[in-house]
Amino acid sequence: MFTLSEECMTEQEIIEKTNKVFEESFEIEKDKLVPTAHIFTDLGLDSLDIVDLVVALQNSFGVKIRNEERVRDIRTLQDIYQFIFTIKKEEIDKKS
Amino acid sequence: MSFKRVVITGMGVVSPFGNGVSVLMQGIEQGRSAVQRMEDWDRYIGLQSLVGAPAEVKDEKRIPRQKRRSMGRMSIFAAQAAEEALVDAGITLAQEDRWRIGCIIGSTMGSAKSINDAFEIILPNKDLGQLNSTMFFQCMSHTAAVNVAQYLGLNGSIMAPAAACASALHAIGIGYDLIRLGRQDVLLCGGAEELHPTVTGSFDILFATSAKYNATPQDTPRPFDKDRDGLVCGEGSGILVLEEYEHARKRNAVIHAEVLGFNTTANGFHVSQSNKESMVACMKQAMNDAGVNPGDIDYINAHATATIQGDQEEAEAIRDIFGTSVPVSSLKGYIGHTLGASGAIELAASLTMMKQNVIYPTKNLKTVSPDCEGIQHVLQPISKKISTVLKNGFAFGGINAALVCKKF
Repeated sequence: MFTLSEECMTEQEIIEKTNKVFEESFEIEKDKLVPTAHIFTDLGLDSLDIVDLVVALQNSFGVKIRNEERVRDIRTLQDIYQFIFTIKKEEIDKKS
Repeated sequence: MSFKRVVITGMGVVSPFGNGVSVLMQGIEQGRSAVQRMEDWDRYIGLQSLVGAPAEVKDEKRIPRQKRRSMGRMSIFAAQAAEEALVDAGITLAQEDRWRIGCIIGSTMGSAKSINDAFEIILPNKDLGQLNSTMFFQCMSHTAAVNVAQYLGLNGSIMAPAAACASALHAIGIGYDLIRLGRQDVLLCGGAEELHPTVTGSFDILFATSAKYNATPQDTPRPFDKDRDGLVCGEGSGILVLEEYEHARKRNAVIHAEVLGFNTTANGFHVSQSNKESMVACMKQAMNDAGVNPGDIDYINAHATATIQGDQEEAEAIRDIFGTSVPVSSLKGYIGHTLGASGAIELAASLTMMKQNVIYPTKNLKTVSPDCEGIQHVLQPISKKISTVLKNGFAFGGINAALVCKKF
């Protein structure tokens, strides 16, 4: 369990917000949203969906990741949780 | 060179009465109006006409998300109408030569709501980063044709004539040509359009909309009537399956009608005003293409949208060719003007009337306007054997289209 103290955002909150994006934007059933789920092969997203995923994550977490190279490395839901955590942490570190 | 024969083997409609040709016909038969006062439209400054004939988006989740995400309202309507038409035709795509089946579906423009939404997103902060990946596919002019093709998995010719209110007839005319030239076997042809205050607004600023009946919406539009005051926008989609005759015969298809002729002309003098002379030429050339005379036409389904000038010009054009010999009615009083979809929705209704040997009247036509006299207006349902129909469609831009179909 990790926690971003300044933002009061726990790992659980990141998971819940991310999963909500998948449920609402991509109409994926809750029970398929496990950390190991591959976003292309298991959840059925394609290249157009990744554009929408980026916009939805930006809006959900208040981050700017449209030109972020690391988005290309994302394969699983766990990758997204970790990526968001890292981005948020970098933002906090930058502020301090 | 001999042309191939082209027949219509399938019909599908999403109209302000609901989904399906039978639902459309039920509404017309019962003499109902789908026109209503539009909620919240009074927040648009300067919009005089607050009435419309909306269709309902329903069962859209039956379209898989990755097919649906690029669809605005009009493409959902088109996909559902196309699906009904294909089922009606009894065509199983997997059994066909896939390179010879396509679709020609026209509209005035892309999804009006999506275009509006896109600018709402972009303009406040000049920020393109908030646009989703499929907004462009909803906004582009060939959105309905492309989305139907993607949804059904079509591989043949895909085209999207944009000719405003003549779009659907243009689509059918182009499809007719492609099949009679032997280039395609089957084409899903028609149009789609959606209702939005900005669409009504485009007519409203030209004083072409109905604005006097906001409190009694079902009394408008009133094609050919002395109290008509303009058009009422509607929405939906009409798709017809055009098929090469031998192809249809080999699979024992039920044939609704044969397409005998088509023509389109332009008035060449004014971007918004209708013009009798070019309408006359259009109808005459369509009949010439069909190899029929005015005396062969049993019913004319008029474009008549209830604008002051448009109805007058069309009535005069019909009078010049047919006098009072042929029954004429307009269906706009039931479902409003479905614009780019109107030619196909109204053709589907006309072909159904032809099958049933009945002609439904022009709803809201109580007293024929003096400037629309001299033609045989249909004021009550008529039982009549119909073999050949003429369908008119006229559009902003000075475009006219006319199609002749015969019972098979």
